[in-house]
Amino acid sequence: MTTTADNNRDRVQITVDGPELNSRMVTEQVSRDFFNVTRNYRWLVAILGSVFVIGIIALILRFLDGFGVSERAQWGYYSAMFAFLLITAGSAPLVAVGLRWTKNHWRRPFSRVSELYAAVGLLTILWFLPLMALLPPLEGRRSLWVSDEFIGVPLWWDFFAVLGLVVCGLTLLVLSAIPDMAVLARHGDDGPRARLLRSISGFWRGSQSQWNYHRIGLTALGAFYFMLLIMVQTMINVDFVMSLVPGWKDSIMPAHQALTGLQTAIGLVLVTTFILRATGRYKDFIPMESFWSFSKILLALCLLWAYFWFAALITFWYGRTPTELNVLSTFMFESYRIPFLLNFFFSFLIPFLILIWNPVRKSVLGPTLAGASVLIGAFFMTIRLYVPAFGIEDVTGHTLKAVQPAILPDVLDIFIILGGLAGAALIYLLASRIFPILSIWEVKEGLLYQRVRPLLRSKFLVLGKPD
Amino acid sequence: MATHSVLALYSNAEYAAEAGEALDNAGFSKEDYEFLTDTPYPEGALGERHSSHRLYVFPFVGALIGLTAAILLTSGTQLAYPLVTGGKPILSIPPMAIITYEGTMLGAILFTVIGIIFESRLPTTKKHIYDDRITEGLIGVVVDCDDNTVDRAEQILTQAGAEEVRREAA
Repeated sequence: MTTTADNNRDRVQITVDGPELNSRMVTEQVSRDFFNVTRNYRWLVAILGSVFVIGIIALILRFLDGFGVSERAQWGYYSAMFAFLLITAGSAPLVAVGLRWTKNHWRRPFSRVSELYAAVGLLTILWFLPLMALLPPLEGRRSLWVSDEFIGVPLWWDFFAVLGLVVCGLTLLVLSAIPDMAVLARHGDDGPRARLLRSISGFWRGSQSQWNYHRIGLTALGAFYFMLLIMVQTMINVDFVMSLVPGWKDSIMPAHQALTGLQTAIGLVLVTTFILRATGRYKDFIPMESFWSFSKILLALCLLWAYFWFAALITFWYGRTPTELNVLSTFMFESYRIPFLLNFFFSFLIPFLILIWNPVRKSVLGPTLAGASVLIGAFFMTIRLYVPAFGIEDVTGHTLKAVQPAILPDVLDIFIILGGLAGAALIYLLASRIFPILSIWEVKEGLLYQRVRPLLRSKFLVLGKPD
Repeated sequence: MATHSVLALYSNAEYAAEAGEALDNAGFSKEDYEFLTDTPYPEGALGERHSSHRLYVFPFVGALIGLTAAILLTSGTQLAYPLVTGGKPILSIPPMAIITYEGTMLGAILFTVIGIIFESRLPTTKKHIYDDRITEGLIGVVVDCDDNTVDRAEQILTQAGAEEVRREAA
């Protein structure tokens, strides 16, 4: 297919040293990669699928081992895995939402990478179902809900909140991807995927009124996703951690989990985009400047993470009631000291030390390493919070009477965790075969507003703002 | 009554905008034509009509319904089981806050999804004139016209610098 749009006049640079790009190049490259299922992709799907199946088998064995409120101690790592999925994949779409609100241009290659994590929500909601049967009744313990007289409190309200988040995220993903799916449907063969794309996006033509609905829909759903996400993080943290620990009163902890979600969302998107770029795909559309810009936000969030942790610590440190001392000893300084130190180092110290150096920040690898670090940190944070909380037998009363001993993971726990991680990656990979991983319309939109222009003896990127 | 759809393709957005102006000057209404693009242009950049919509209404209605349902549920429960807890009033706001917030959010999300589907007039079986080259950066101008004006429309679109003009029965 030929077009006169493919001429030099239409080509623009989005970085000073970058190649010249145009609309047709974006369409062609994404179409080519989208319909080309490589052998490496198949191998990766097979490996992840196998690990996921092993994880499910481990989960079945765990069920046979004992399942119920009284056996919840052995489900601590399962619960931690749920929290990790929620914190990371659940928060990831917020990257696209938040950066779209700011109308910047460097976010364009990250948008779909982050929105695609909404698909992992399908696993998150399934992972949540067994947890509903493990939570002890509210009677005799403090909770966010104040009273247990309301219908469905707390489990069904937790469930519908998580479900609402997943539905909102998936709608956001589908709505955002519809224009791209329409493009790919017109450039694909008659295979089942192209037919599926046609059936979903056949109505899309790209009229200005359709683009208006698209923009408003994304804005509205994005706002609701943000408002719901913070609430879900708070509810899950309170119901599955704090209210299971008698006497633990901490207004910062739920906010700390929500903040960790924002931090890991950036980490996850950075790592995923790095992998995408490292495979050689879309390198021209994912400039180093995008990583550099993102690294500044990540640095700020790492500092904020340390502040939240310290603010929570100092209250308990000076309070020194028996409960406060036992909470500190259990969750940080004694029983779960190693996960805590790993959490602290990977969530704050390591990314902070990486990101304070401008030359490191101004690279692709530096921010990615910091992003990987905060993901590891968040993983150990969920371990040190959710595992001990699930290990406390008597959840009633007003004080945590003793320091809780550490619960070490057994083989089943390890396979369940690996299965969960593999399942999340598998769903993401499969979703990337339905929704293109690069947001075609956003990258093309960026071409409208970015130009490299000379100024005296140098060249600079000139950016336009749509409104 | 529109019986024809004419599609013109432009490689330059400026020519497409000029085609729109020429159609306006020739007496075509802004309702008669629309621009097709592969990426969102800023509102009004092509001189297109301002499209009014009611999409903002749907989240508000949904939020209101969710909020009302949640308030009815929580206050109804408290009134049905009037237990004084911690010396607080029977109808106490803090225990209701989370449920009402969640109900509001869920209602708003549900109605936003419904609103997007409804305002986009989905599902549709109507076939519209289109050219795949629009997905590669060309800009389409589609004019809906009748037998009397179709030739004139084609002439205007061609004079504005169209790469190609074709018509289909609507």
